[in-house]
Amino acid sequence: MDIMVTTIINGILMGGVYGLTAMGLTLIFGVMKVINFAHGSFLMAAMFLTYYLFQLTGIDPYLGLVITLPLLFAFGYYTQKVLIRPVFKIERDVREPISVLMLTAGLWIFMDAFALALFGAFYKTIRTPYKGAVLHLGDVIISLPRLYAFLTTVILAILFYVFLKKTRLGRAIRATGQDRDAARLMGINIDRIYNVAFGIGIAIVGVAGAVLMPFYYVHPVVGVVFDIRAFIIVVLGGLGSIPGALLGGVIIGLVESLVAQFITATWTEGIIYAIFISVLFLRPEGLFGFKAEW
Amino acid sequence: MNLLELRGISKNFGGLTAVANLDFTISQGEIVGMIGPNGAGKTTVFNLITGFHFPDRGDVHFNGENTTRLRPYDLCLKGIGRTFQIVKPFATKSVIRNVMVGAFCRVTTGHEAEQVAREVLNFTSLYPKKDMLAKNLTIADRKRLELARALATRPKLLLLDEVMAGLTPKETDDMISLVRKIRDQGITLFIIEHVMQAVMALSERVALLHHGEKIMEGTPQAVASDERAIKAYLGEEYVIARG
Amino acid sequence: MEKERTHAKTLKIGRITWIALIGVLILLVAPFFIQSPAFFQLMILILWYAYLTTSWNLVGGFAGVLPLGHATFAGIGAYTSSVLFIHYGLTPWVGMFAGALLAAIVGVIIGAPTFRLRGAYFALATIAICESLRVVLENMQKFLGFDINGARGILLPLKGHSPLDYQFLDKRYFYYIILVMLAIIFYITYRIARSKLGYYLVAGGEEKEAAEALGINVAKCKLIAMAISTFFTALGGTFYMQLVHYIYPRGIVSLDLSFEIAFIAIIGGRGTLLGPIVGAVLLVPAAELTRTYLGGSYEGVHLMLYGAVLMAVMLFKPRGIMEPLEALYRWVLRKFSLQPVIQTDRSV
Repeated sequence: MDIMVTTIINGILMGGVYGLTAMGLTLIFGVMKVINFAHGSFLMAAMFLTYYLFQLTGIDPYLGLVITLPLLFAFGYYTQKVLIRPVFKIERDVREPISVLMLTAGLWIFMDAFALALFGAFYKTIRTPYKGAVLHLGDVIISLPRLYAFLTTVILAILFYVFLKKTRLGRAIRATGQDRDAARLMGINIDRIYNVAFGIGIAIVGVAGAVLMPFYYVHPVVGVVFDIRAFIIVVLGGLGSIPGALLGGVIIGLVESLVAQFITATWTEGIIYAIFISVLFLRPEGLFGFKAEW
Repeated sequence: MNLLELRGISKNFGGLTAVANLDFTISQGEIVGMIGPNGAGKTTVFNLITGFHFPDRGDVHFNGENTTRLRPYDLCLKGIGRTFQIVKPFATKSVIRNVMVGAFCRVTTGHEAEQVAREVLNFTSLYPKKDMLAKNLTIADRKRLELARALATRPKLLLLDEVMAGLTPKETDDMISLVRKIRDQGITLFIIEHVMQAVMALSERVALLHHGEKIMEGTPQAVASDERAIKAYLGEEYVIARG
Repeated sequence: MEKERTHAKTLKIGRITWIALIGVLILLVAPFFIQSPAFFQLMILILWYAYLTTSWNLVGGFAGVLPLGHATFAGIGAYTSSVLFIHYGLTPWVGMFAGALLAAIVGVIIGAPTFRLRGAYFALATIAICESLRVVLENMQKFLGFDINGARGILLPLKGHSPLDYQFLDKRYFYYIILVMLAIIFYITYRIARSKLGYYLVAGGEEKEAAEALGINVAKCKLIAMAISTFFTALGGTFYMQLVHYIYPRGIVSLDLSFEIAFIAIIGGRGTLLGPIVGAVLLVPAAELTRTYLGGSYEGVHLMLYGAVLMAVMLFKPRGIMEPLEALYRWVLRKFSLQPVIQTDRSV
């Protein structure tokens, strides 16, 4: 019984981080209708950044966000501005623009391969004071770093939700996502919004990278698993839905945890894919989404 | 002989009634018009006839056959052709290639398709532009291309959805002549139009649609001067050309 | 008087055909003059990729969708023929058609629901299916009673030089086999492109409703293209197994391979006849060079090249490099006042 509870809790906690990654992706999807295949690679970059910051200066990942967050934001902002925007513009009237898709796929492959070339068989983690620390609730064991990660996720999700609903920039972003032309007519600078939205999406990934480092390993292709999970979660939760991303993340985290514990770890991917394929065919709009227009 | 019969056609979208209990017939060789303010349900009627939507109630009969549940491609083979209100050319392909796609409906080899396409392009005066990419055509030519493509499928009944929209008066005259030429070939025509000049000039009979219901039916003159038509259009933008 | 014929325009006639014929001739007789095994290794690889990308092109280029999991079918082909060979002694020459048939059926079953999905969703679905198959294969020691050894994969019993068993010691046999396979799939693509199916596929991929109104059953056409494409991809899978004698799930049913195929075809020019082949000819040697000088032992480093080139192509020439290559070619001809007899309308 305690194993069950521990498994469930750990699954939920990890799911929070998956959800966090997915949040950034769903924002980018929802606002710009851009498929960012390179999302996981940005996570990998964030993790490396956090790792080196800690190794070189000893700054804790959470505190280090002061540095890593703006950096990741800029990374995202300029990727959108320099790489994606030009391709996007060419394809604006094409029904199913695959060029942007292929561009981000190329970016994904390039970034991962580049990291491989640079770091090789790198497989490291960091030793923060709370690494390996656990919380005992009766006989249930909860990993403290994971708990911190989950709490950060929840706080960020709430903040982000408020940002989108209440602030001017947030509303501008939502407006652009709903109807690009109408937003333009209202005087919103679409290009700037796109750049900012992408930047925010990647910044969120930066947070994910920071909260992962205390209990996860970083290596050049760590992004792949998260990337695919993120896409599955976004479809599961509904395109453009922040609560959907969080809930979807938790579901996936739970499934992963339970399957690994009670069946075998190797089947985890298979079952998650099965869920994904079912959702795609049975309810493509996801839990909270609406039938996507794009 | 009734070529097309709509019997009690109704269609709802969500809570919105697009078409309500519509009865309508078209005989072979006629040019029939359908007018009405925006949102009256005219394009939905076309979609119901051509299999893009299925009616909630009622039947569609074409050439004596119940075609209500047939898909668009089957209906094309049976002899119903259509154009779209917002033209959908194969933009990155040449004019002649666009028409060849239509021609393949009735032939099997590339050479035959090209023959048919040339014929149709000559008929619609598009031949000189046959190698131009569709996306580089003017609006008037795009409408022509849309027509030519549908003609290549050798339809018995051709549905034209606002072919005159966006044309200059001269282009409208040219299009009217072309439509007449098509009728002279023996093709029955069912036309949605806002441009009154065209409706008057072409249609033998006109139906007025409003909120999905057929309000009245008659000669163009009778319908246009009827009080109900004026009421339906009041407040809407429309184009009336003299004569 | 010039009797222009659009239909014949898609055929490169005149001087191009001569050059092409000479090129093919060179390819045919090369083995008699060149002995280096490394050369054949590379040539076989290039031709194999050219073969796979040309097969992919039927769906990814003509039908206008983006399959990013096509390695699935290479895997089906390789596993089927191998399993039949090991358990029943059935020669892979026959077994490969069993695999291809299976791949075609699976392709149609997968295609039917997935073609209804919009662009990116479709791509994601194909990725999911490819990865699912890999996971399934890695986790099962037996499949329908046949040993497949999970993640460890299958080793082909070596028979030395045994033509009837599709096994050869001399690489040159494989060279000719893949050359013939490439010629076949190229010819099939060529015929389809000029046929009703070809026109219908392209139309359906570009404007679905308009195509349907013109009598095209878009879904059916896509499924036909899918069946043909997956059939031939599977044959390519068997070829690979016979060449290297060993397959394991991650080695053949991999996203890496799926992406490579798609990337090469797109960079070369999807929807064109020669695009995929040109892409393979340019990229595969470059990738091998990258792998030799940068890769070391890290699987996947050479992909850096694919990624970079793909991004560059998407930024500057999204339709692939065939267009600028053709333009360059025409420029060269004009410079030497050899007027080409060809016209193109941007795709086959």
